[in-house]
Amino acid sequence: MAFYFGLLQTIGIHTLLGLSAYVLLLTGQLSLAQVGFFAIGAYVSGILTVIFEYHIVPGLFAGALAGGAFAFLVGFPALRVKGLMLVVATIAFSEIVRLFFFNLNWRVMVNGVEVGPDSTQGFREIRFYAANGWDTFDVVLFIWLFVIVVMAMLWWLDRVRAGATLRAVGADELAAQSSGVNIVAVKVTAMTVGGVIAGLAGGLYAHSATYVDHLTFSVLLATFAVAYPILGGLSSVFGTLIAVIFVQGILIEGMRFLGDWRNILFGLLIIVAMNFRPSGLLDGNVLSRIRRMIGHGKPDGGGRHA
Amino acid sequence: MASRMAGDAMLELSELSKHFDGIRAVDGLSLEVERGEVFGLIGPNGSGKSTTVNLVCGVFPATSGRVLLEGKDLGGLPPHRRLNAGISRTFQNIRLFGELTVWQNLWIARRDAPGEEAGFMRNWFGSSARIREAIEETLVFAGLAGRANDLARNLAFGEQRRLELARAVSARPQLILLDEPAAGMNREEVEDLKQRILALKGSGITVLLVEHVMELVMGVTDRVAVLNFGKLIALGAPGEIQGNMAVREAYLGSPDAEAA
Amino acid sequence: MGIDFIDVAQAIIDGLLFGSTYALIGLGFTLIFGAMHKLNMAYAASAIAGAYVGLAAIALSGLPPVLAFFLGPVASGVIGLAVYITCFRYMPASNMLAPLMASIGALFFIDEIIIHATAGSPLAFPAVMDDVYFELGEYGFRGDLIFVLVTSLVAMLVLLYVLFGTRLGLATRAVSQQVVAAELCGIASHRTNATTFVLTGVLGGLAGCMAAAAVGVISPLLTVPITVKGLIVTVIGGLGSIPGAIIAGFAVGGFENLFLLVFGVNQRDIYVFLLLFVFLVFRPNGLLGKAIKRD
Repeated sequence: MAFYFGLLQTIGIHTLLGLSAYVLLLTGQLSLAQVGFFAIGAYVSGILTVIFEYHIVPGLFAGALAGGAFAFLVGFPALRVKGLMLVVATIAFSEIVRLFFFNLNWRVMVNGVEVGPDSTQGFREIRFYAANGWDTFDVVLFIWLFVIVVMAMLWWLDRVRAGATLRAVGADELAAQSSGVNIVAVKVTAMTVGGVIAGLAGGLYAHSATYVDHLTFSVLLATFAVAYPILGGLSSVFGTLIAVIFVQGILIEGMRFLGDWRNILFGLLIIVAMNFRPSGLLDGNVLSRIRRMIGHGKPDGGGRHA
Repeated sequence: MASRMAGDAMLELSELSKHFDGIRAVDGLSLEVERGEVFGLIGPNGSGKSTTVNLVCGVFPATSGRVLLEGKDLGGLPPHRRLNAGISRTFQNIRLFGELTVWQNLWIARRDAPGEEAGFMRNWFGSSARIREAIEETLVFAGLAGRANDLARNLAFGEQRRLELARAVSARPQLILLDEPAAGMNREEVEDLKQRILALKGSGITVLLVEHVMELVMGVTDRVAVLNFGKLIALGAPGEIQGNMAVREAYLGSPDAEAA
Repeated sequence: MGIDFIDVAQAIIDGLLFGSTYALIGLGFTLIFGAMHKLNMAYAASAIAGAYVGLAAIALSGLPPVLAFFLGPVASGVIGLAVYITCFRYMPASNMLAPLMASIGALFFIDEIIIHATAGSPLAFPAVMDDVYFELGEYGFRGDLIFVLVTSLVAMLVLLYVLFGTRLGLATRAVSQQVVAAELCGIASHRTNATTFVLTGVLGGLAGCMAAAAVGVISPLLTVPITVKGLIVTVIGGLGSIPGAIIAGFAVGGFENLFLLVFGVNQRDIYVFLLLFVFLVFRPNGLLGKAIKRD
């Protein structure tokens, strides 16, 4: 049972990480900076609960805010450049953050024990759950509470003008501008929202793992963050969830017997999936077919207007 | 021209130029579009019509010269602020948000009437009966009633053209720029478009029409300007322009050149 | 004080010499971008993989080690072609995300195969002229780095000749400027793009061998850092600019070694990334990149 609870925690955290990239992908921006915000959230909330002995809830909120604040600051220079330049700029940002924590040494005595980030040795004492008697099931519920809230908000976003505007920027920047959309404001807002979600995911990750170090926050994880929504499809928030369940649940955990062949398989899977479903597993056509199947009235688009 | 009051002009271009790598796409263009008229802009391919539209919309900055809306210099205003100032447009090669519904396409561009602006939350995250009514009205104007929930990319070509127009109208503009709206249309569709442009004029919107289809230009415009090599070569009522030698030369080449 | 002027100068010299490999990698990224307006994220991985194949070939056959520098690039060219076919050839032209993501998949795939085949441990790579050392006044020039520089320069000259002196190069440039028009002139755009991938693959394989020879070992751990450095070189040089990539390659090599001397190995890359950000803020089109023009 503990194994499945652990897997549920991983799926929840990775879904949040994927959704943070999803928000930006809606506006047509591919960001590999999400892992940087994730790392900031992890360290900030970890430092607050360990060194300053905060409760986890304010710790997580502070981590999410820190992620959002950095995303906002990075947003302006990074979004001056477009498309492929943004990919490079955001890789660089994530690597700067990783190297910063690689070099961060902040050891403090708390209750007679030395704790805190220990540069290359990592940050080892993030034990809020154990210290407060939460069992793994409580943690699963706690994480999924956030996952459900974030997913519900993003699902709702697609039903209001703000969400349509995000997608309009992603579809055609000039047409969006000519329709009165301030694309810089929209992109920086999306970046900030993505930073908040990634920061939250990072805080949850740090407390589940009880230990973080710079190796966790690699370009590889940044790639996973964008791979989930791209593989799952951008037409719906559920695409990201399905991709996370598929990759983490089936490919990585379900196929343990394959050993390190799984990693080779992962690369191959991405190539095959992109060739056969370039718009992701759950693209617009599949989605409208599902809607029709469950008798959801309208043939297309699924709005509740008019 | 000189006798006209300065305040009459909806749009004024003053010594407007745009150079691309030494090519003078628009070269010292000055003209005025009066409030409430349908103004045609014609000229051979590459004469600078589309560049003029893009300069008015702020897609790129002018090399020199000014664009004034109701006497106010638009300076370096970006496109979205120009929409708020009252200029909306359509695109020559249809640029709809294909993965969004017809309704959403109009909702994005929609502007509230001055003095009736909704608050931030209601504007972005809410809706109201007033907005629904206004969008419904625009749909009827464009002949798209009943297609509200279809994805824009699933519309037929003619419907997509009408949705482009509807999206531009949805922004409640004072001035609307139509960039070759009749391209690819059959005779019936052109006639239909003519009626819609006249309806726009009837509701007090000024129209700048860039077009190749002479049947449309001659049928709806009050005045026509002819561009060639980025310069204004003729300006007048549609009937006058049709008989103008300079215009024929621009389109067909000069008789001397042909003989040579 | 601690750091003398002569240390700084020597660090920059070594860095510039090693920077020629970055220039080759940056050239590969920029050429593919120039041809297709797409990033091939698997590029550095195929370069390293080529070097491995070269190494394996000489180890298994007992051929002289220098042949690794010939077999490696050939293998990289083949891998480049495979990447083109699997990640770019059949993708919808308007979709930017799918080929980018697919090539990231190819990066993992290639990297993991190397890890699987070598159990993840680094292997020694043959160096050339590593027993030679030139001295010029107070400054020294490592023979192996001179070899890297000279080989890279020759490769660049050959490349420039192919691009600007042959019909193949003309076709490549035609396709990158106007796909439809080029096709109407009888140029098969897919074949031209495939050629670009093979050509850049060979270039990358050479860079992979050079980098491995200069460091002395080859390891799958090199893939991601070389990918990132190559991308930085490409952006600083200006996406699509050939001279930009060459200049930026040398510059990044020089600065990197300078940062290593001043800030130490743990912080070196932070400053390389900050250098990139300086460019993104003040010169977003890079050193020699073209400004965005009308569409």
